[in-house]
Amino acid sequence: MDERSIRKSLLGTSVEEKRLYRSRIQKFRKCHTLYVILLASLAALQFIAIAFFTRGFLLTRQVLDNVSSPFPNQYGKFDKAVVLVIDALRFDFVIPVDESHPQHNPNYHNNIKALWNDESLKGSSLLFKFIADPPTTTLQRLKGLTTGSLPTFIDAGSNFDGSVIEEDNLIKQLYLAQKNVYFAGDDTWSALFHPFLSAQSEPYPSLNVWDLDTVDNGVMSYFERHLLEGGQTRHRDWDVLVGHMLGVDHVGHKYGPNHFTMREKQLQVDEFIRKIIAAIDKDTLLIVMGDHGMDHTGNHGGDSIDELESTLFLYSKRPDMWQPNEDPNVYDVSDLGKNYKQVNQIDLVPTLSLLLNLPIPFNSLGWPLEEIATSKKEFDFNVRLTLQQLSNYKNVSGMVTNSERQAELDHLWNLAMENPKLGFDFQRNLLETCKDLWARFDFWSIGVGITLLVFSLILLLTITKLIPSIVVSQMVFEFVPWIIVMIFISNACFQGVFFVFQQPAFVSDTLWCSLLATAVGIVIGTFIPIFDRYNIKWMVVRFVEDLSEYWTRIGVLLLTVHALLFTSNSFTIWEDRIVAFLLITLGMLTLYEFVFVPKRQSTSALLTATISEKQGTASGASQSTANSDSFPLTRFARLLGAYHSIVLVVCTRIASTITICREEQGEYCTPTFTTETNYSLWCMGLCLVIVAMIPSCIKGYYNLSSSYQAAAPIWIDIFLKSFLFTNFIYWTLAALENSVSDWSWNITVLKFTISRIIAGFALIASNIGWMMGPLCIKLNLHNADTKSHRATILGYSNIYGAQYFLLVINALMGIFLFNKPLAQVSLYLMCNQMLSIIEIFHLLKLKENIVGPFALALLSYSQFFSTGHQATIPAIQWDVGFILSETITFPLTHLAIVLNTFGPLIITALTVALLTLWEQPPDVLKPQTLLGRLVSNCGLLLVYHTVLCLSSFVWVTFFRRHLMVWKIFCPRYLFAGMSLIVVQLVVTFGAVALASGRLIRQINDIFWK
Amino acid sequence: MSLKNKRSSVKKSVSFSDDNTLTRNNLKKHVDHDNPPVYVRRTTLTVPWHIFALLYYYIYISNSYDTVALLYLLIPLQITYLVFQFNKSTVYGKKLLKIKLPLVLISLCATLLLTIPTTVIIILFGAPLIEKLFETWLLSLHLCFLAYPAVYQVFNGDFKVGLWKRYFVMIVVGAWTSCIVIPLDWDRYWQTWPIPVVVGGYLGALVGYSIGAFI
Repeated sequence: MDERSIRKSLLGTSVEEKRLYRSRIQKFRKCHTLYVILLASLAALQFIAIAFFTRGFLLTRQVLDNVSSPFPNQYGKFDKAVVLVIDALRFDFVIPVDESHPQHNPNYHNNIKALWNDESLKGSSLLFKFIADPPTTTLQRLKGLTTGSLPTFIDAGSNFDGSVIEEDNLIKQLYLAQKNVYFAGDDTWSALFHPFLSAQSEPYPSLNVWDLDTVDNGVMSYFERHLLEGGQTRHRDWDVLVGHMLGVDHVGHKYGPNHFTMREKQLQVDEFIRKIIAAIDKDTLLIVMGDHGMDHTGNHGGDSIDELESTLFLYSKRPDMWQPNEDPNVYDVSDLGKNYKQVNQIDLVPTLSLLLNLPIPFNSLGWPLEEIATSKKEFDFNVRLTLQQLSNYKNVSGMVTNSERQAELDHLWNLAMENPKLGFDFQRNLLETCKDLWARFDFWSIGVGITLLVFSLILLLTITKLIPSIVVSQMVFEFVPWIIVMIFISNACFQGVFFVFQQPAFVSDTLWCSLLATAVGIVIGTFIPIFDRYNIKWMVVRFVEDLSEYWTRIGVLLLTVHALLFTSNSFTIWEDRIVAFLLITLGMLTLYEFVFVPKRQSTSALLTATISEKQGTASGASQSTANSDSFPLTRFARLLGAYHSIVLVVCTRIASTITICREEQGEYCTPTFTTETNYSLWCMGLCLVIVAMIPSCIKGYYNLSSSYQAAAPIWIDIFLKSFLFTNFIYWTLAALENSVSDWSWNITVLKFTISRIIAGFALIASNIGWMMGPLCIKLNLHNADTKSHRATILGYSNIYGAQYFLLVINALMGIFLFNKPLAQVSLYLMCNQMLSIIEIFHLLKLKENIVGPFALALLSYSQFFSTGHQATIPAIQWDVGFILSETITFPLTHLAIVLNTFGPLIITALTVALLTLWEQPPDVLKPQTLLGRLVSNCGLLLVYHTVLCLSSFVWVTFFRRHLMVWKIFCPRYLFAGMSLIVVQLVVTFGAVALASGRLIRQINDIFWK
Repeated sequence: MSLKNKRSSVKKSVSFSDDNTLTRNNLKKHVDHDNPPVYVRRTTLTVPWHIFALLYYYIYISNSYDTVALLYLLIPLQITYLVFQFNKSTVYGKKLLKIKLPLVLISLCATLLLTIPTTVIIILFGAPLIEKLFETWLLSLHLCFLAYPAVYQVFNGDFKVGLWKRYFVMIVVGAWTSCIVIPLDWDRYWQTWPIPVVVGGYLGALVGYSIGAFI
């Protein structure tokens, strides 16, 4: 049954009517375009606000390009060095651990004995606990390890994009001293240092964390060729040989430390180190180190003890090269080496410089290890050289402007000059000063960011809630021209002022100036039409009036509680539980509503009732169905509503048991989202069950409005089911690879084939299919009364919602593939929660209320946490980036990570339109009115995310000197900003621009009157 | 509509709803002798002083927040409160009803039964499922016995929940609000489950019984 025949059979068409219809649809098209532009400009305003805040808050460090010049004296002890970096080599991996210790684990303890075994270590060796500076990501650590400086937070974002280090560093100094640096391993090195490395180097791609062996085998065969072959006598054409092995780190990312693969990998590393120790000659220094540790899940990036503690091992075949501390307690390995001597990672830089006869890199802030000096003379020399470099750096950078600090440093400097033993104090003090200085914020930018976001919030609230949507649909014709004009005017003014007076001073260049001007233009351009009709007093009165309604108050309460979570680190830590608690509270309140039906003055329900009373009967729907809104809830509706509330509550509670646990939650949280559970038999079993459950659950909701017709069975029963099944096969393969220890088949190609086929289907093909306009209605000819020539249209009452939900199914399919098995179970629960929320607010006639979008926003956050995420950097599931491609490829890897991280947010950003469209019969509302209401609901979802983002902005600024700011508040603010951006894009360009415009046009095409 | 029919045919009907839009017309027609207007007098008699005392005992006197001992104190005191204070300020029609001993016992059992759904609800709200089941049940015992006078009156008034709902609601609101302190990292003993929620429930009941008649 195609559209045309339905149209023909239903409608008589006269020329006059056709003309009327065309003009109406033309007006709708124009209105729709303008709405999109309005929303897009508000989105632009928010993006600019976020950009300004980020610019002011995320710290930047001034990088000096000076290069230290060589020192005339000779001081090096070694001509050659072998450096082996073992990624994520945590300190307790290399020391002997007592098997009776409660945390002893045979998978990662006592496997690497080479650094500790005295018999093989004839010569002199030193072992330290090596403390990294956060962020503990490889790129940042390599920068720190070679420049001796501290990275700032913003560097962390560029882990994917390492570009050549410009500042002075060890490798550059080696190059300038005309030494040959051979390198093999992690290609981050070649990105950072490629001008200084020998052409013989062999970098390997590093970020494919599922590949455990390529890099390690490469490093080993390289060392084999250049070091191990031919024994000690062979001439070696390198001066420094560097290897960077990734196996241990990748095992951590893929399986976590507690996995038999870790043991295999560590034994391999152990053997390799032994070979190197045997192969080096007396003039060669061996350095084995880790760049950072790993936490209990095997990830890193944050600043927990486990992530910071790594290993440093210095070895030479010559006896008595070092002077270890006489007190044996300094090297106490009991209790996982808790009290073992620590050194800072940046201390390696002056140490190596002094050992290899190199100038200390210019920006270095480290302090040489005292153990490397065997005599007092040597010690004094080392101290003086380092002090000279530090003071040179201090003076040239001119960064200590505070006179008090300056005096203190001068005093310490003088003391150190008299007694070299006190030099350490000077370095410590300078380091602290630098840390303080690099934590300096740009308050102008922060202020502008917050102000712009506040304005965007006011505008969103005014447009979506305060002004009735019908009026807004008239006003868009004024908004858009004003906004465009004001952007031009404001750009001209700001650029003029900036060009002539260089004011405002904090916008350093033209780009930022035009961004600021555009934002101001959008704000003014939107306010002009608003103040043309309304004034502030009216807006305030209207706001207070809205707040007098019960459900609005509930919505506001939920949002306020959620936004106030950022006032304390403990609330932010426990956000996952609190969000679930709030959502359950909402479910309980609706349950209470349906069971007890208290007397409430529901203004919005009354409003809906009057409107449908006027318009309802025109469509030919019976008086009773059209006016059903004005009746109190029927017994059936109450039963249904109570059922949906219980579904919402129970699903939320079950989903909330899936958690990855923040490190700060400590003993109060047991992680359930681990590699082990994800690939366990019962979890895969559940996944198989949901292959059948999801389609049947969605089918159940469709059947409520008998819209399981025409396109719906094709989509749900064929597309979705076969997608889910193929997806299940993919993840079963992944699970088998993961848990079968002697898995020998190479199924990489098969996995990529499957994943690409289903990703292409879910992301592209199904959406193209949806754009064709699948209808979920059917003419029921069996029940037709032959005499009157009338037929029933099944699914008529939910024609909008049923079709729109097919798009949500598409999004769901796209997101399913990129989530791990347990998260897929959580997403299944999300389907139920989402549809229940929509049904509940439909039954309560709260389609226009703020509580609907707010409930969806809460749902998206609770699902964010229960799909194995946390608002921290180590919790990002980087490994899903390699589902579609083996290496980092621009759209594929990034798309996978975005869909994985923001999946639930994307789904709800699309679903929010359903609050308006679900169970909305055609021809009750004019297309423009419907669009207006839809935009209003979308806007309210944006309001929720904006308020959260604003709150996190304000509180992260307030807590900028808080101990936990980089660990808790800053990641949360980054997440809030990112999620606002994602939701804005999906709402504006997905829900409003692409989907609802076409949908409303199509339905009105068929059922116009 | 189906409700209307039912009302005419059945003498007493059980309704959990206080939405009387459907029945308003019926009420006007005949003065309902079966369902006389019930209200709580606005006196200071309803102020539950014993809850003050119990809270004081719990926080300052009892040995590290002894929740079980508190329960043993609560139950007799609630019965006393019902008999001597709450029942005396509840007016049925124009008269006070004498306390009915069987009903006291029945509502005690009902309260005990009520703890099962309460426990389920608390677990749904996020309490640990198995590890702390006893503590959760203890909490639900406290909450239910705090509502005991209201439970008695529900039985006394032919299951008309309308008037008594507010007492339940106040206890729930108190307990709900008190959850705020659980996640805080103060490392105090009283943050252990279920102490804060017990205190919150008591505070809610205190406010509820004191001002319930005025809402």
